[in-house]
Amino acid sequence: MENSKYDVIIGLEIHVQSNTKSKMFCSCPTHYFEQEPNTHVCPTCLGLPGALPVPNKRAIELCILLGLALHCDIDDEIHFDRKHYFYPDLPKGYQISQYKRPICSDGYLEIKDNDGKKYSVGIERIHQEEDVAKLLHYNQNGTAYSLIDYNKSGVPLIEIVTKPEIRSAYQAKKFAEMVRQIVRYLNISNADMEKGQMRCEPNISVQEKGKWQYIDGKISPIGDYKLNPKTEIKNIGSISAVEKSIEYEVKRMVDELEKGKTLIQQTRGWNADKGITEFQRSKETADDYRYMPEPDIPIIDISIDDVKRVSNELVELPDEKEERYKKEYQLSDYDCSVLVADKDISIYFEELVTLLSSSMPIQKAAKSASNWITGTVFAISNDRKIKINEKNIPKSSLALLITEFEKKTLTRNKAESLLRESIQNNKDLKELIEKTVSESNIALNNIDSIIDEVINSNSKAVNDYKSGKEATIGFLIGQVMQKTKGSADPNKVKSILIKKLNG
Amino acid sequence: MDKKTLRHIARLSRISLTDEELEKFTPQMQTILDSAKVLQEINTNNVKPMKRHIPFSQLREDIPEISLTQEDVLKNAKYTENGYVKVFGKIFDSDQDS
Repeated sequence: MENSKYDVIIGLEIHVQSNTKSKMFCSCPTHYFEQEPNTHVCPTCLGLPGALPVPNKRAIELCILLGLALHCDIDDEIHFDRKHYFYPDLPKGYQISQYKRPICSDGYLEIKDNDGKKYSVGIERIHQEEDVAKLLHYNQNGTAYSLIDYNKSGVPLIEIVTKPEIRSAYQAKKFAEMVRQIVRYLNISNADMEKGQMRCEPNISVQEKGKWQYIDGKISPIGDYKLNPKTEIKNIGSISAVEKSIEYEVKRMVDELEKGKTLIQQTRGWNADKGITEFQRSKETADDYRYMPEPDIPIIDISIDDVKRVSNELVELPDEKEERYKKEYQLSDYDCSVLVADKDISIYFEELVTLLSSSMPIQKAAKSASNWITGTVFAISNDRKIKINEKNIPKSSLALLITEFEKKTLTRNKAESLLRESIQNNKDLKELIEKTVSESNIALNNIDSIIDEVINSNSKAVNDYKSGKEATIGFLIGQVMQKTKGSADPNKVKSILIKKLNG
Repeated sequence: MDKKTLRHIARLSRISLTDEELEKFTPQMQTILDSAKVLQEINTNNVKPMKRHIPFSQLREDIPEISLTQEDVLKNAKYTENGYVKVFGKIFDSDQDS
């Protein structure tokens, strides 16, 4: 949109399901995925009269933890409110949420923009609420009906609301990606968007450049400019769809405006198969949820000590890790960002570096570990659909493989094929390496005689080389490599060959 | 309270009212509001909200317990299908939000 006459303004609402063991206001188990419907339900999450909600301490700790990670102010009192609406996914007729006093407010998250620069996105609020039931809609011979499973009803849900400060589809995607990384790093949520553990709803508007401004963080018109209404997009099932759906919607809105049409405030659904947003409903009137204080839950006091205790759970976050990798290990921006993307992989990487650093300088160890993990190991993990962990690829074995490669005992090809073989045939990598190294040591001890043998049995190639066809050397090297089963260092073979041929 | 407001509130609560009912209930609702208004005449400046406070430590620990059986859960449902509660009608156009 750089050259367009419009500015794009986006605010994100992100919901993440906390990975607590029990629900937000009752002790029903939370793991509802692929479970029999309506088996994780009790009078409280079914909204039966007389049942009382009792807040889950861990869920609130996780909400505070996320607030701390996103630089928010943490309130010293927790107030729950009722948000009313009537829909079958909500058995009580209201959702317990937070309205006037969210637990966390006024934070920010720095993302890396597509020009490589940091961009800070303000966070309006982070509050605690409960998830709703799952509905399946059907239509049989013209009769519409829905099936309801209340297992998901009452699962702790954290809502993050940004300020309308996101200015491109790319930034929105980055923001969602970083939130996902952070909640995973802090074990707040698994945040799998395909499973609905994380949901992302962008609010988008396009305004003519120079005709609006932020006043107290809100989009306000300049002069007699009339602001264009916003679109909210739902049904976004992946991080990439965050970007794609916004790009589509921005283009749609701009096209409409350029045709002289007037936009209406609406909710649209992302259709991933068609790659378009589709009209769901217009929002002519403001939502009317008739919020009121939840009378069944007392005000919960949070002390400074409570917040301190939670803050002990803060770990090094991906952006901090990335900076450290750059400084300590001198790795490229790209390598760093790939390695920190997944917490488990970053830990695997760091432990591998520690192992390697006993036999080489730390920066060299880091560079080798990074090359191997982001190259061969990622490729194998993709091909074989396996996780990169201690069980599948023991770090001490991988360290041995890398060390032998660095010592030039193993060529890259040979080392890679050993790694593949160990995974494909479920063989012990260390044993494979040791066997190959001892075989190649025998072969290397005999390298002189092998080279002599190749020279003697390939007289045509030898003559070609001597008469000036230097490219023939490649063929001769290949012959030697074959006889040493790929264990010889081709450069070494080349120099010995040349010496012998010229001698 | 006027008929328009009452119709709006009824709609939010998924209650359909006939014109006669609107006519009948509007003044009744007004009476209810007038009664509640009495409370607003009381000076509550410097009066703390009468809501209990509890310390964070008293919240429930995150320990899951056994839920109801599916059979018990479905007992109050008018219609069920394969362990689900079944409801009829087109409900897509609601203000559903979470």
